[in-house]
Parts: sequence; C-alpha cells; structure tokens
Amino acid sequence: MREIVTVQVGGFANFIGSHFWNFQDELLGLAEDPNADEIFKNPLLDVDVLYRSGETHQGILTYTPRLVSVDLQGTLGSMSSRGTLYNVDSQAASEVNTWRGTVSTHASEPHQKNLFLQSLEEEQNPTERKGKKIDSQREYQEKDIVECLENGVKFWTDYSKVHYHPQSLYELSGLWMDVEDFDNYGIGREALSSGHQEDISERLRFFVEECDHIQGFQFIVDDSGGFSAVAAEFLENIADEYTNTPVLLYTTRGPASYMNLGQKKHKVVRGLHDAVSFSRLSSLCKLIVPLGLPSLSRSKASAYLSIKDEKPYHCSAVYAAALHSTSLPFRMQSVGRAADSQDVSGAVSVSDLVEILSGNARKNMVAILDMAMPAPSLSGRDVGQSMLGHLHPVTYEIAEDVEDSQAMETLNIHGVIGQGGHYASVSEVKDYIHAAYEHANAMPKFCHLSVARTPLPIPLPFPRIFSSLVGGQGKLLGEPIAGSLSRGSVDVHSIPIGTRLRSSIAILPHLENRLTHLQRFGIQRGAAGSELLRGWGFGRDELEEMGECLTRMVMELKPQAIMSDDSD
Amino acid sequence: MSLRVLNPNAEVLNKSAALHMNINAAKGLQDVLKTNLGPKGTIKMLVGGAGDIKLTKDGNTLLKEMQIQNPTAIMIARTAVAQDDISGDGTTSTVLFIGELMKQSDRYIDEGMHPRVLVDGFEIAKRATLQFLEKFKTPVVMGDEPDKEILKMVARTTLRTKLYEALADQLTDIVVNAVLCIRKPEEAIDLFMVEIMHMRHKFDVDTRLVEGLVLDHGSRHPDMKRRAENCYILTCNVSLEYEKSEINAGFFYSSAEQREAMVAAERRSVDERVRKIIELKNEVCSGNDNNFIVINQKGIDPPSLDLLARAGIIALRRAKRRNMERLVLACGGEAVNSVDDLTPDCLGWAGLVYEHVLGEEKYTFVENVKNPHSCTILIKGPNDHTIAQIKDAVRDGLRAVKNTIEDEAVVMGAGAFEVAARQYLINEVKKTVQGRAQLGVEAFADALLVIPKTLAENSGLDTQDVIISLTGEHDRGNVVGLNQHTGEPIDPQMEGIFDNYSVKRQIINSGPVIASQLLLVDEVIRAGRNMRKPT
Ligand SMILES: Nc1ncnc2c1ncn2[C@@H]1O[C@H](COP(=O)(O)OP(=O)(O)OP(=O)(O)O)[C@@H](O)[C@H]1O
Ligand SMILES: [Mg+2]
Repeated sequence: MREIVTVQVGGFANFIGSHFWNFQDELLGLAEDPNADEIFKNPLLDVDVLYRSGETHQGILTYTPRLVSVDLQGTLGSMSSRGTLYNVDSQAASEVNTWRGTVSTHASEPHQKNLFLQSLEEEQNPTERKGKKIDSQREYQEKDIVECLENGVKFWTDYSKVHYHPQSLYELSGLWMDVEDFDNYGIGREALSSGHQEDISERLRFFVEECDHIQGFQFIVDDSGGFSAVAAEFLENIADEYTNTPVLLYTTRGPASYMNLGQKKHKVVRGLHDAVSFSRLSSLCKLIVPLGLPSLSRSKASAYLSIKDEKPYHCSAVYAAALHSTSLPFRMQSVGRAADSQDVSGAVSVSDLVEILSGNARKNMVAILDMAMPAPSLSGRDVGQSMLGHLHPVTYEIAEDVEDSQAMETLNIHGVIGQGGHYASVSEVKDYIHAAYEHANAMPKFCHLSVARTPLPIPLPFPRIFSSLVGGQGKLLGEPIAGSLSRGSVDVHSIPIGTRLRSSIAILPHLENRLTHLQRFGIQRGAAGSELLRGWGFGRDELEEMGECLTRMVMELKPQAIMSDDSD
Repeated sequence: MSLRVLNPNAEVLNKSAALHMNINAAKGLQDVLKTNLGPKGTIKMLVGGAGDIKLTKDGNTLLKEMQIQNPTAIMIARTAVAQDDISGDGTTSTVLFIGELMKQSDRYIDEGMHPRVLVDGFEIAKRATLQFLEKFKTPVVMGDEPDKEILKMVARTTLRTKLYEALADQLTDIVVNAVLCIRKPEEAIDLFMVEIMHMRHKFDVDTRLVEGLVLDHGSRHPDMKRRAENCYILTCNVSLEYEKSEINAGFFYSSAEQREAMVAAERRSVDERVRKIIELKNEVCSGNDNNFIVINQKGIDPPSLDLLARAGIIALRRAKRRNMERLVLACGGEAVNSVDDLTPDCLGWAGLVYEHVLGEEKYTFVENVKNPHSCTILIKGPNDHTIAQIKDAVRDGLRAVKNTIEDEAVVMGAGAFEVAARQYLINEVKKTVQGRAQLGVEAFADALLVIPKTLAENSGLDTQDVIISLTGEHDRGNVVGLNQHTGEPIDPQMEGIFDNYSVKRQIINSGPVIASQLLLVDEVIRAGRNMRKPT
C-alpha cells in the first residue's frame, strides 16, 4: 500500500480540507451502510492510503486521516485541538497535580455547537436519540441543519463530521495578531518561531513514520497571506527530511483574498507577495496546482452551481470536490495499466502524476486544474455536450482558448451516468472520451485517463450550491426544478465529477505576472518594494535567483521554443 | 486565550492620549501577570472555547496563550518573550518591571514633568544598576567539577516557582544531573542534547532521568525482539526503502516488463544496502549473544524489515534528526550516511534496549550506556496540560543550570537584589545626578521594588510593612530577602535562594529600553505592524 500524508496550512486550505475529509468520511459510512447503493462499496478505492488505523489507551480502535493541519490559534471554533477520540475523562483533567498554591481559572466563552454538531453528538450517544427517528421529522431536522450551516459557518470545524487524530490539528499560538493582519509573506516569516517549526515537523514525522511506503505528500496551502511563509518553511523541512518523497502542492485562495486590493500600495505588496510566495513554494515541491478564482460564482466552472463568493464555506466545497477527484487515481488498487477492472482504471501514483505532467520533454511544474461539477452524462439529453466542453478552469490568471499541441494531461472521470441511466462502466467512459478527443479540434500531446464508477457523495453538511438544473444523482437537467433556487445535500445525494490537470502554455500569464511584479516592484533599481522585501528577509541575491528561476519557467513554455522542437 | 488587555482598536492617537494609553496598557498587562510571581504565586488554568485546558504559572507561556490586541501590550509581551528566548527565565519580572516603570513615570508626568527627563534618569539609573549588579553578584567558580550544591540551589529556586516543593525537589537533581551529563569541558552547553520525552499515564505524575535515550517509536516488524541486552547500535541516515529514483522514473515505459525490470533493479540496490548492514551484524555478533540495533533517520520498508528481522536485527525507522546526534553522544560510534564503508568502529553500545507500548504509542528505551553525553528526561503525567506544564518547568530548570555554569555567578533572590539596588540608587546615585533627571533615577529605583512588593502581595503580606522592614534591615548593613511565610527579612544565601545573573542583567537592560520607547511615543503604532523583536 502506498500512503499519502495530507498537509493543510492556513485558513482557506483548512476549509477545503474539511470538505475533503467529509467526502472521505461519507464514503466510509456508505461502504458500511447496508442500505447504501452498491456503487459505494468499491474496495478498489483504498481508503487506507489516506487514513491510518490507531488505538486509544483504552484499547478502542480508531481510524483517522493522515493529516497535519496548521492554522492560527482560535480558528478551531468548538473543536478541541486534540480531537474527540483520545480524550481522557474530563473530571481528572481539571485537577491540578503540580501546584499546591492558589489556582485561578480563566475560561473563555465556550463556543456553542451548532445544530449540525449537536446532531453529530447525539448520533454518538444514541441513548438520547430514542424516538426521534421518524423519517419526516428527520428530514425536517436535516433541513434545519442545512439552513443553520448556510447562515452560520464561521470556522471550518462548524461543518466537519470527521474525527481527527490528536496529532493532526496544530495551532500557531503567541502571534498576537488577527487573521486579517496575517496577510503577507513577510509577516508569516517573522511570526513563525523555530519552536513552531519543530513542533509541526514532529507532527508530520509521527504520520510518516507509520507509513510502510509513502507515495507522496498532498499539501494544500492558503497562499494568500502569511501562511505562504509558514508553508515554505515547512516544505523546506520536508525537502530535507523526505527528499525523495514527492510533494503535490495545491496553492489555494478564497475569493475574500481578492477583495479590497484597490490602492497602489496594496498593489505593490500583493504583487510582491504573490511573486515571492510562488517562487518559494514552487522551488520546494514537485508539482504545483494554483486553485481559486477571484469570482467563482461568475466563472464558467459554476455553470451548474449557485455559489456565494463571500462564503468560504461555499467556495471551498467546490475545490475540495476537485481535490477529491484528482486524488482518486492515487488510491486505485490496481497498479499498472494492464490490470484494470470495470470499476476503476488508470491508477497513478503521485510520482507518476508528476512525471506525466512535468517530467516529459517540457519541464513545466505548474498545472492547471479544470473541472466539471457535476459532469455530464454520456447519454440522453446531454448528447452533443461533450465532457471536454464541460471542463472549466479553477486556476486563476491563465490564458483561455489557447491551443497547445504539447500539453500533457490527466483526466479523472468518476461516477458519470451512461446509457440507460446507470453508472457508466470504465470501458464506456474510455470509449466516450476517446471519441471525444478524436472529434476535438485540438489534441494534447498525451492524456492519461483515470476512471472510477463511484460518484462523489454529498454529505449532509455540504453547502447548498447546486443550481436547480442539478438532479438527485447529479444529473444535469434540461429544465430547472421548479421552486428551488439552489439545491444541497437534502436533494442531491451524489454527483458525477470530472477533473483535468493540464500542463499547458495557458499557464504563461500566471508565471509572467509573477515575474513582472518581482522585477518591477522588487528588483529594478529604485523599485517601490525593495525596502519591503528587505524587511521580509530577502536579500538581493535571493531575489535575483528567484527572478532567474521564474524566467526559466517562462522560457520553457514560450511558443518559439515549442515550434523549434516540433518533432512529434 | 481568555484574557484581553484593554482597548483593542487602537487608532492613531495624539501624543498625550497615546502616552496614557501606553501607561494603561503596561499596567493592564502587569495586573494580569503579577499574581504569577514567585513560589507563592497563582497557577492559571486557561480553558479555551472548545474546553481545551492549558495550565501555566509561567509568564512566557501565559503571554503566548493570551490574545493580546493592544499594540503597546504586544510590544511589552514581545520584550518579555524575547527575555525568555535569550535567558530562559524572568518573563514575569520583565513585564512587572516595565509596568512599574510606567506607573512611577505616570506620577511625575501628571505633575507636568517631561518624559524626556525621566528617560534620561532611567538611562543613568540603568547603568548604575548594572554596575551595582557586578558588585552584588555571587561569583561561582566552575572548575572541572562544578559545585553541584550551588547548581542545585539555583535549579531548586526556579523549579519551586513552577511546581510544588516535593515535585520541584525531585526535578532539581534531575535537571542538574542532566546538564552535567551533556556538559563537555571547554564547549558551550547544548541543551538540545537533553531529550525531553513524555508519556501519558493515567494515575502517575513522575519524572525520571534516563541516561541514554528514549525514542517515541518502536520497531515495525512483528518478529523483532521487544527487549535486548548488550546491543551494538548502528545510527544511520540511509534509505532502506524502495523509492523511484529520478533517473529511473518509469511512467512512460510502455512495456510492463521494462517497468518490472526497473523496479527489480531498484529493489536490488535497496537489498544490497540491507545486506551490508547484516554483514556487519554477523561480523560483530558471531560467537557471542550480543544484539544489533539499527536506528535509521530514513525509511525502512517491509521487505527490508523482513530481511533485518530474519537476521535477528531490531530496526527503527524515521528517527528524529536530532536523535542521530544524541544517539552518538549517548552510545558512541558515529552516525553514518552510507553503508559503503561500515566498520565496527561506527557502532555504539547500549547495555539494554527495550520497547514500551501504550495504546498506539510506542517508546524505545536505549539504556545502560557507557559514559553518555546525552540523556533523556522522561515525564509522566495524567494529561497533556499537566505534562506541558512540567515540561516548561524542566526547560526552566535546565536553563537555570546552564546559565549558572556559563555566567560563573548567581544573584541572591527573594527580592534581595532589588532592595539593595534600590537603596544604592537612592542613597548613592541620585545625589550625583544634576537636576530633574534625579527624579528619573528615583522612579527607576522605586520601580525595582515591584519585585519584593509583588512577592509579598502574593504571600498575602502587607507590602508597606514588608518594604519598610526590608529596607530598614538593609540599611543596617545586611543583605536581605523576603521570607514568604512570615514577611520577615531573611538571608537568601542561608536559604539557598539564588537567581541567574544573566536573567537579572537582561531584565535591567531591556525593561527601561521599552519603557523609554513607550514614554517618548509620538503616536501609537497599529497592532501587528511592528513585528520586530526588540533587542
Ligand atoms: N523561596 C523564595 N522566596 C522568596 N522569593 C523567591 C523564592 N524563590 C524565588 N523567589 C523569587 O521569585 C522571583 C521569580 O519568580 P518567577 O519565576 O515566578 O518569575 P520570573 O522568573 O520573573 O518569570 P517566569 O519564570 O514566569 O519567566 C525571583 O525574583 C526570585 O528571587
Ligand atoms: Mg522564573
């Protein structure tokens, strides 16, 4: 088995992570639920890749994500940083064993658990639940829960249904700073003490030591502010300590981070932050996937969604769905392309993925993520709307409609509905996709296809973000369902989904913007931000090296270069 | 956590309002921390919004747990935390001293005095106090064998401000022995060579010194022994797992055979490394029943574990980087980065290696080593916050011992230094100063008394009475500290109450610097902007 350890650093990354683990938890539950659809009982998608088995001191067995999450102190809301599984009885906890003198207690206002978290707790203590299980009443309750989340999510823990290991949730304390002020690379760099760094690395080591054969790190960072620096330090340690283990890095940002960027001074700070952050992070991983549109709601990716940009709870759900999809091939049991089944096919490991996208003739390590959520069916009313046409980017600052015959792609399709309304088999999907590519006007140089029949389950705490054109199984409807503007987990139980990672020249604007900003605001003589960068701890040499590195990344993709080696 | 200090939304304020805000913020922070001070202080239990508990009697930890929003308070907190980073102790005193300097200044400023004049007085007083400290300190001679008694007294003084007496006294010997274990003549003491390990244990609060190392993981093979005597220790940083090397990446190899051939080749080179280790084991263990332990910083995969287990070797993977150094210091031998030139000289030795399992947690004890220069302090406690608090105390204790050895001096505690320095400033220094800067010296001198006063207050004594009796006794020519039980003067030397010289020095140095900055403020900086740690 080839384990993956997941790392989430920063606010929005943890919002995404929370949804991501909810999906996994939902799949685990469905696999065990005798009443659930057979499609969810797919042993070929190995959960052990992402989860670890453990045991409490009391001998109770546990199953928890292999995860290290880092966030500011105070962002865990009503969840204990030690999780819920390994706690000792709380009576003994309030006893002071070390001091005979005066004790003074300072209690913060307890965080109220919302309706959803309360219902989770009730489920755990079934004694209190007697008689409540009449179905209509239950549905009514579910509606209330969904409603309360729609209006009241403040922390990522507010909608989490997952049990976390005590080593998983790390809070940065002693920063004396509000989240809003933790907004650039320099601040993050300064705030992180060596003590923090060591603690975080130890958490990671705990999870890695258990792995018999780790295939890679899945690293999600909120790179809109100080957490870029936190992640960079962390990644540096990973590169030192686990040199040959590839890191797949998702840099993410919520729409909120794009707001109030008006002023000139901000422009310099943002420009430099983005440039420095990208340079540092990309130099410390194998593949980087930038995620997060300035306005998800108005993007093509939201054609069948109803998103409120100002809600991280909403946006993060979409990116989490994408991450779930892109991580499925890592969990497919069959290794090698020969041993495919009708349920899953196209397993790749993290290092395979890195090699497909960046290890070929062209060394481009920045991939674009496109997604179709929900993905169209292969039949019926959707004939003519090809799967490929539904894939839209959720990576920002890229060129649209560019053709790149040298592009390298991986395509992940799962849970799509085929002829006759059944979940399409692997071969159906393959045939369909091959046909689609044959008819497409532009072909990538290489495309790897991974298929799973299992759709994405929609857990109860998933936000109400489907438009009225989405049916109960995520089918795209020709006519809106009357009477509802947006639909959520009560109406939609699962969806088919498609994602594509693509290494293409379309990423050029992303790279060039960063290069330009670095040069104009940071390196050129008299640059407006040179003082600022010094304050962030970057010396001239380091900046020039970053500039050269970005230049190389750009040159690698410039069309001239491609034309000259048009051998294929 | 739950504590907030004043006005969270600091706008830019005008000068006088800014000054008062600074003074209030300093006082506010002082009020929160003052109950912490000394062996009669209050321990604080902080309960977070989700019910998480933190326990602390340490200024440093408390500050880090607080959500401080006032920019002035943040500045003071940073100074105090820097105090702890540099010298390991004295955070509470730093905050109190700064607060009191501001409070004393407030009086004079209300009477119309310019802050600049006070600041000039502070500068004079600071220099005089530092000179006085040189005379007042108690030199300690550190020959080849440091005076253990004095080390113990310093450690005990610190520990008793954090833990109840019996527990503190137990830890006193532990921290002193730990530092003496890792100390090498002519070299700076690297406290990282003392590993601090903890175990959660339902009913037990216990701490012990392990001469050797405790690792927080165990072997990962069912057939490896859980206990072994007379062990060779191989400390290494060598990958013993199959991993795709860069050159050999193989996705685009079309044929399955090619892929497999590559995998096999890679596997062979891993097996080869394992075999070299086994060869060394066979070389040193043949004809005796000694054991062989591999402790590797890199990974070891199941096939390699199988091979090692079959050869009777116990193997641990993914050891902490720092443990590579510690193991060598504890067991001897050297940490190797390659298995190419393995010789018996690379190996260390431990009389006993065994595993201890608690739920999913595993510990490996490497004990009975010869002449160790690294050791482990093992803390057992019923829950995380108890363990964390003991850990903080242990760190304080270790720092106190290290400081003493490096300072080659200590300072009499229980307020003795502060009382003596105050009298010196008032009686000797003040009169040498021209003009109104005298008042700055006086403010500084009185601010020093915050330490004995707070110690008295925390003991439930009358501060006025105590100060009168202490200064009186001092003026009769004696060195006097405060007896926390009776309020009577005592001789700290007789009672063995000693603080670190470098800690005191740092407090005297940094307190007035920050206070002066706060007094000379033009406008208030916004929170979170000035991230520099003051020096
Ligand atoms: N037995 C004692 N009697 C009187 N005073 C004592 C005694 N032991 C220690 N003290 C005094 O207590 C003070 C130290 O208290 P404490 O350790 O709580 O605070 P700190 O060192 O300033 O800050 P922190 O340890 O929180 O970083 C010193 O001034 C010391 O002289
Ligand atoms: Mg102290």
